[in-house]
Amino acid sequence: MSSESSKKRKPKVIRSDGAPSEGKRNRSDTEQEGKYYSEEAEVDLRDPGRDYELYKYTCQELQRLMAEIQDLKSRGGKDVAVEIEDRRIQSCVHFMTLKKLNRLAHIRLKKGRDQTHEAKQKVDAYHLQLQNLLYEVMHLQKEITKCLEFKSKHEEIDLVSLEEFYKEAPPDISKAEVTMGDPHQQTLARLDWELEQRKRLAEKYRECLSNKEKILKEIEVKKEYLSSLQPRLNSIMQASLPVQEYLFMPFDQAHKQYETARHLPPPLYVLFVQATAYGQACAHMKSSQPPRQDKMLSVAIEGSVDEAKALFKPPEDSQDDESDSDAEEEQTTKRRRPTLGVQLDDKRKEMLKRHPLSVMLDLKCKDDSVLHLTFYYLMNLNIMTVKAKVTTTTELITPISAGDLLSPDSVLSCLYPGDHGKKTPNPANQYQFDKVGILTLRDYVLDLGHPYLWVQKLGGLHFPKEQPQHTVIADHSLSASHMETTMKLLKTRVQSRLALHKQFASLEHGIVPVTSDCQYLFPAKVVSRLVKWVTIAHEDYMELHFTKDIVEAGLAEDTNLYYMALVERGTAKLQAAVVLNPGYSSIPPVFQLCLNWKGEKTSSNDDNIRAMESEVNVCYKELCGPRPSHQLLTNQLQRLCVLLDVYLETESHDDSVEGPKEFPQEKMCLRLFRGPSRMKPFKYNHPQGFFSHR
Amino acid sequence: MERAVPHAVPLGQVEVFQALQRLHMTIFSQSVSPCGKFLAAGNNYGQIAIFSLSAALSSEAKEESKKPVVTFQAHDGPVYCMASTDRHLLSAGDGEVKAWLWAEILKKGCKELWRRQPPYRTSLEVPEINALLLVPKENALILAGGDCQLHTMDLETGTFTRALRGHTDYVHCLALRERSPEVLSGGEDGAVRLWDLRSAKEVQTIEVYKHEECSRPHNGRWIGCLATDSDWMVCGGGPALTLWHLRSSTPTTVFPMRAPQKHVTFYQDLILSAGQGRCVNQWQLSGELKAQVPGSSPGLLSLSLNQQPAAPECKVLTAAGNSCRVDVFTNLGYRAFSLSF
Repeated sequence: MSSESSKKRKPKVIRSDGAPSEGKRNRSDTEQEGKYYSEEAEVDLRDPGRDYELYKYTCQELQRLMAEIQDLKSRGGKDVAVEIEDRRIQSCVHFMTLKKLNRLAHIRLKKGRDQTHEAKQKVDAYHLQLQNLLYEVMHLQKEITKCLEFKSKHEEIDLVSLEEFYKEAPPDISKAEVTMGDPHQQTLARLDWELEQRKRLAEKYRECLSNKEKILKEIEVKKEYLSSLQPRLNSIMQASLPVQEYLFMPFDQAHKQYETARHLPPPLYVLFVQATAYGQACAHMKSSQPPRQDKMLSVAIEGSVDEAKALFKPPEDSQDDESDSDAEEEQTTKRRRPTLGVQLDDKRKEMLKRHPLSVMLDLKCKDDSVLHLTFYYLMNLNIMTVKAKVTTTTELITPISAGDLLSPDSVLSCLYPGDHGKKTPNPANQYQFDKVGILTLRDYVLDLGHPYLWVQKLGGLHFPKEQPQHTVIADHSLSASHMETTMKLLKTRVQSRLALHKQFASLEHGIVPVTSDCQYLFPAKVVSRLVKWVTIAHEDYMELHFTKDIVEAGLAEDTNLYYMALVERGTAKLQAAVVLNPGYSSIPPVFQLCLNWKGEKTSSNDDNIRAMESEVNVCYKELCGPRPSHQLLTNQLQRLCVLLDVYLETESHDDSVEGPKEFPQEKMCLRLFRGPSRMKPFKYNHPQGFFSHR
Repeated sequence: MERAVPHAVPLGQVEVFQALQRLHMTIFSQSVSPCGKFLAAGNNYGQIAIFSLSAALSSEAKEESKKPVVTFQAHDGPVYCMASTDRHLLSAGDGEVKAWLWAEILKKGCKELWRRQPPYRTSLEVPEINALLLVPKENALILAGGDCQLHTMDLETGTFTRALRGHTDYVHCLALRERSPEVLSGGEDGAVRLWDLRSAKEVQTIEVYKHEECSRPHNGRWIGCLATDSDWMVCGGGPALTLWHLRSSTPTTVFPMRAPQKHVTFYQDLILSAGQGRCVNQWQLSGELKAQVPGSSPGLLSLSLNQQPAAPECKVLTAAGNSCRVDVFTNLGYRAFSLSF
């Protein structure tokens, strides 16, 4: 069997040798491996397909042999054994071949695996390479986008426009032939031009700076010159003083006043400037007329300038003073500190403190009477006050009833309707008052002066009104400036007060001083006589039984002045309660009547008394006389006497009473009664001298 | 009630003058519009104010609705008397009678329609007209006043047809007898005269002051007010308010009222009178004082009963006199409010 197998093997080897193309390679392999038999090398030389055929053949042969052996064995015989032997040998050979094929298959498998592995490694290597390349590509792309997104700083620079650039830039910078087509070059050229321009401007700037420096130096020099001029001028002024005095030229005085005015608090300063200006304007207007020496309005400043200056000193001085005085006070007032009242009193004084400077205004009227106004400024209350005084050239005999007419307290009361000057116009003051326990400013006005609203306005202080503005019918003068209006009002006020003053003097002596130019308003013979003219208090007026209507109509305010007149004729006594509005004579005095004759007659029970009242109160315009109608009060009183005459004389005679009438009819009347309310003929017709009905 | 509250605001020249004017205002006459919703009132300054009664009486009446709807200057002198026809408002005072269209007044176009002056005998002063009386049956108007005559005027043509002479002093008041065409007039001379309109003759004269029951010499003899109802006549003034029987010319009732009366009128079975003093007096025919309703004026001159059937909701009594207010009485016993100029 072994020989069979070796035989079988040999041809195999030979066979392998015999394959020329394969043998060469094999030879080199074998030579390398030391010339021993190598099945591995053999594998390469054999065709797997043929091995498979061989395998199938061998298996068939084996099956056949086995079947023959089986067959032989079943038949049994002697020669069978040989044959079996023979066949066994043959099958052994076949086994050998199978074994060989098996080995070969194993080797092939191993080789296949090795090859696969090798190939796989190769693929891996390639894959890695690919990854690297991809990464590189990505990086490059990033770089590219970065480049694309790059922004140059030059884009932020504001360049001159393209046309301008080509127009202005020199050709060596603009290089039109190159840059026209190439935007990059163009931009570069424009940047160059920009740089060039900026350099030039910087140069210019430097030049200007140096120029400015130079001019400043010049100014310095000139200033020095001017300041050296001041002392020289002063000396000249000093020298000219005697000349000024000699020539009556008050330039210096005015200058001094202006100097003082600088220390005035703002409201007083405004007043000072405005009043001076108004005074000068009036003087100029006057100059067209025959020149007058005296000025209508003169303005002056009073008070200590030093004190005013002290107010503006740096606060530390005053603080020192205060602390000093505080310390002193602490010692001295240890005893009185408990008394709270004294402290409050000091605080009140502090609050009501006036500015040390005040403005004096002298307003001259035509009859040479002068209204002296002194304006003060209450620093802590921020209001202005005024004190008034009237002086006349001739000495006035002061009638008792005229006491209030020219008193500083009331002479300017209600210059504008409702402006009684007893309440502070600054709403903030009330809170300040509450702190120190001042109820109202009213108690202090005598001392401080009156804070009239017009005073605040003259000083340029404006406070909001407590009540919405009451509509005032537009006056032609209201359109003019406030100063002018006020000054005119002040003048009329003084004149009307003086006129009243004069009238009162006669009225007190029972004389109704009718002037000659008003004589035509009355008949020549007036029998009723004024016997009494006295002033009465507001409260007394309110309590009179026949004045209720006036009180209810709101015409009896406490700012008015109240008087009682008594007109008599025979047994008839006519009482007249008079309300004198401070606005006299534009606002007429109002009369309420009460006749004592055959019982008490008032407007509520006698239509004719009512008519008499309306004759003097409503028809007062007929009684005004020549403008400015200061004679109104006198005329009203005289009219009242005439009315009483008419009333008494026309009273119908009671037939049942014996004897003659007490008052025979002397007046000429067309008719005694007229109309449903049987009015008497109260209207006097001047030239004819008869009485008729209105 | 609604007394004028003293002003809180200070008064200027114009305000003072206006306040004084209001204070001395006298409303002489009243007349209700034909629609019954408006009341005209004339004052001593010659102004006529039109008040809207319906607005003032409505439930949502405000203070403004008690003010005139319109006020216009009608005459130079006082407006002593007014009367309303179904279209016109007639007003008279100083010698002239003027007519105004109600429709135009309410539209605030205050232009007079016509004016007439009775033929006066020349005089130094123009006599006033104290009373106007409409005679609907003859479409005539009777005017009386200062010249002591009654002038009849034809409303159709506007001509003065005749003058009734007889009074020796000026005429205060007129009253019409409804059945027969007869007119009563009372004057300053103290006589009440009864005139026949057809014959233009004086038929009867009652010299009131000569009767001792009612004469009051200290007040004068003038007859200030007059009213008539069938055979009855009531008159007052200087003499006491007295109810007369006309046919027998005898005083039947003398009403105990001291103050002279300026207006009297019959109302149902009552007599309403007003005059010096604040009150509207209501009398029974027997002479008893039924009620005295106080008003707001110190003296009253005219009463007006709004009995227009067109406006039953405005059926009120209004009284005016020596003030700028017209008192409105919603029923006879109560003063509801005052209209004010």
